[in-house]
Amino acid sequence: MMAILVDTRLLLRRVKDFRSLMPRRNRVKEKWAATRPKNPPTRLALQHFDATYSVQLGNLWPSVRVALLSERKYGALVNNFSYEAVLANLQAQGCRDFISDTHTETQSCFEQDKAVEADKELGVSMKTSVNNSQQHSALQLSPSIKCVVFPRGDITRFKPARPDMHGLLGYYLMDAASVLPCLALDVQEGHSVLDLCAAPGGKTLVLLQTQAIRFLCLNDVSVSRTLRLKRVLNSYVPKQFLSDEMLRITSFDGTKWAEVESNTFDRVIVDVPCTTDRHSLMEDDNNIFSKSRTAERRRLPQLQLELLLAGIKAACPGGEIVYSTCTLSQIQNLSVVEQAVYLARENHGIHLEVVSLRPLTHMFRKTFHFTPDLQLGEMVVPHLAANFGPIYMCKLKRLT
Amino acid sequence: MQNNITLQSAKENHELRPLAQKPDSELSLRSLLDMGFTDTQAEQICESVSKFRGGGFTKHALSSLTTLFGLGLNPTSVLKVLQKCPELYTVKESQLQQRIGNLRKVGFVEGSLQRLVVYYPQILTVPVKTIKNVVLFLREKCLFTVQQVTDILRDSPAIVQEDLGQVEYKFQYVYFRMGVKQAEMVKSRLFRFKLDEVRCRHCFLERRGLYETPDKKGQTFIINPKLDSFLKVAQDTFLTEVAKASAEEYSVFQRLMAREWQEEDRHHSRIEADSDDEEVEEDEDDEETSGKSGYRKQRKT
Ligand SMILES: C[S@@+](CC[C@H](N)C(=O)[O-])C[C@H]1O[C@@H](n2cnc3c(N)ncnc32)[C@H](O)[C@@H]1O
Repeated sequence: MMAILVDTRLLLRRVKDFRSLMPRRNRVKEKWAATRPKNPPTRLALQHFDATYSVQLGNLWPSVRVALLSERKYGALVNNFSYEAVLANLQAQGCRDFISDTHTETQSCFEQDKAVEADKELGVSMKTSVNNSQQHSALQLSPSIKCVVFPRGDITRFKPARPDMHGLLGYYLMDAASVLPCLALDVQEGHSVLDLCAAPGGKTLVLLQTQAIRFLCLNDVSVSRTLRLKRVLNSYVPKQFLSDEMLRITSFDGTKWAEVESNTFDRVIVDVPCTTDRHSLMEDDNNIFSKSRTAERRRLPQLQLELLLAGIKAACPGGEIVYSTCTLSQIQNLSVVEQAVYLARENHGIHLEVVSLRPLTHMFRKTFHFTPDLQLGEMVVPHLAANFGPIYMCKLKRLT
Repeated sequence: MQNNITLQSAKENHELRPLAQKPDSELSLRSLLDMGFTDTQAEQICESVSKFRGGGFTKHALSSLTTLFGLGLNPTSVLKVLQKCPELYTVKESQLQQRIGNLRKVGFVEGSLQRLVVYYPQILTVPVKTIKNVVLFLREKCLFTVQQVTDILRDSPAIVQEDLGQVEYKFQYVYFRMGVKQAEMVKSRLFRFKLDEVRCRHCFLERRGLYETPDKKGQTFIINPKLDSFLKVAQDTFLTEVAKASAEEYSVFQRLMAREWQEEDRHHSRIEADSDDEEVEEDEDDEETSGKSGYRKQRKT
């Protein structure tokens, strides 16, 4: 043992002497692992995920892990407001719109799909296989939402979008899986919609593409991020669609939304802050796993629960709510939904039904890897050949 | 590795010697046949030598042949050596002798020396000084033992023609990043593999959670697979036995790594070119970024 330690020091000293003789590319640019800072937040995140996800995902974990630690794939949300032939240009580069790519195939498949997501302990109505016609209509995805991706296994990157003659950008780069919660929300003509945690606005942009929303309420507690949201909107959407009659942007604490209004919206999307798994593995700055943010991280599930409950209360009876995160964590996903459903009934007398998203996932199984057999909601797990996600989503419908 | 070499008896060698010692001797078909080459072999040799004509190399050609026979190689092996490395026709006899002598000094005994020459004849085109440098480098910079150095030269002789900076980087990568000691490096024939191959397999295992850099005390939480269990094996074996991954995943991964490293290079040359290193604009904790910067977020390995 001793000898090895001595060797190491000897060698390390020599590394420096030799540096100048090395070709640039292979020059030792950083200290080798042995002397790196002990526990950067990215490392803590990885340790945390190794401990929890290896149990939760079993032998799927190594494959998800390597994908999380490698370059992600983007999708380009086509901006219908742009004056350019955005879609055609992107298609010419070899991309395809993953949403329309599956339409025909689906019709036949999902009819057999009768997966019932019942969790007895919840004691709530979790009827999912409504009748077929209802599921059909639930799957009438807005034809105006288009998101293109490069084919499976293709690692080509998108170029940054450029402004058209009116200064509007042609597409928005985002995790293609983030489009799914918006599709799941199933916005219909004339709906009023609340986006409770909206900044920086990726999902908002998806929703706006439908041009079906009568009134859209955008909220985010962070003022600086709300400003960013506004900048995003201004770069993608013409002024006339951002008028006060159609759009309201606020910076409230979403958990207190009921103090403003309740039983109002046809659709509510609750895209909560979470451990942002991918980000936490890549960036040490401002990392939720840094020691200084431990308390905040531990409070996340509670905050998520409160936000979801607020979203539930904001929806009108019969209205639908989509909860989404970008973490694989069961505690931030299923558990939050379970508790919210329970508390909504116990404390507020609101009865909810979980709406199955199986038809949706079935439809997009060519593009994304979903975890099989999740008891509640659906989850996109990263895979090297389709490196999107993680995205968790669960859809609830207010019965009362 | 090379089992088709037969050493000629010393007696036969002896009989050949006088041929070479004839001053200004011609490299004739006749003399080649006398050396024991078949008709076709002799013609092949004449033909390759004729390509070097004009530089007075015929003399060296003859002495090279004699030297190789002197090592105890049979005509077939000699021909093979020269076909692999026609350059040997042009090396001076004294240099060849010096180089062979040096290889003996480095630890190649009878049998292993001949195998080395047949396996990698280029070794005889490398100046004694270069070999000495490589040996010194392996001994002093990488702390290999004398025996290990001989083993490395035997298994990966091409190392003598490589850039030592690159070799050192590879060594350090494996030593520090992977925590592998010298003996295991030799066993896995590390120096036969390109740095990128080593790195790619290692990083793949590491990102899958199957490999861990040992801490200062040499400890890891998981048991790392042995270097030779995942380096020396074919790719399918690597994937099914060690990485437990699909070929699709690895193919994507290789392409991603190649791009990552390429960009690292470019990034470094940019930093060196001018020091006002443009910083990547950082986003907070979004899962999304609406532009190119998102692509650049990469794990530093
Ligand atoms: C995952 S991000 C939302 C991403 C966004 N929906 C999109 O698609 O671009 C979560 C957001 O929740 C916001 N947030 C955190 N706590 C909040 C609260 N109490 N009320 C409202 N928003 C909150 C954060 O500022 C952050 O912008």
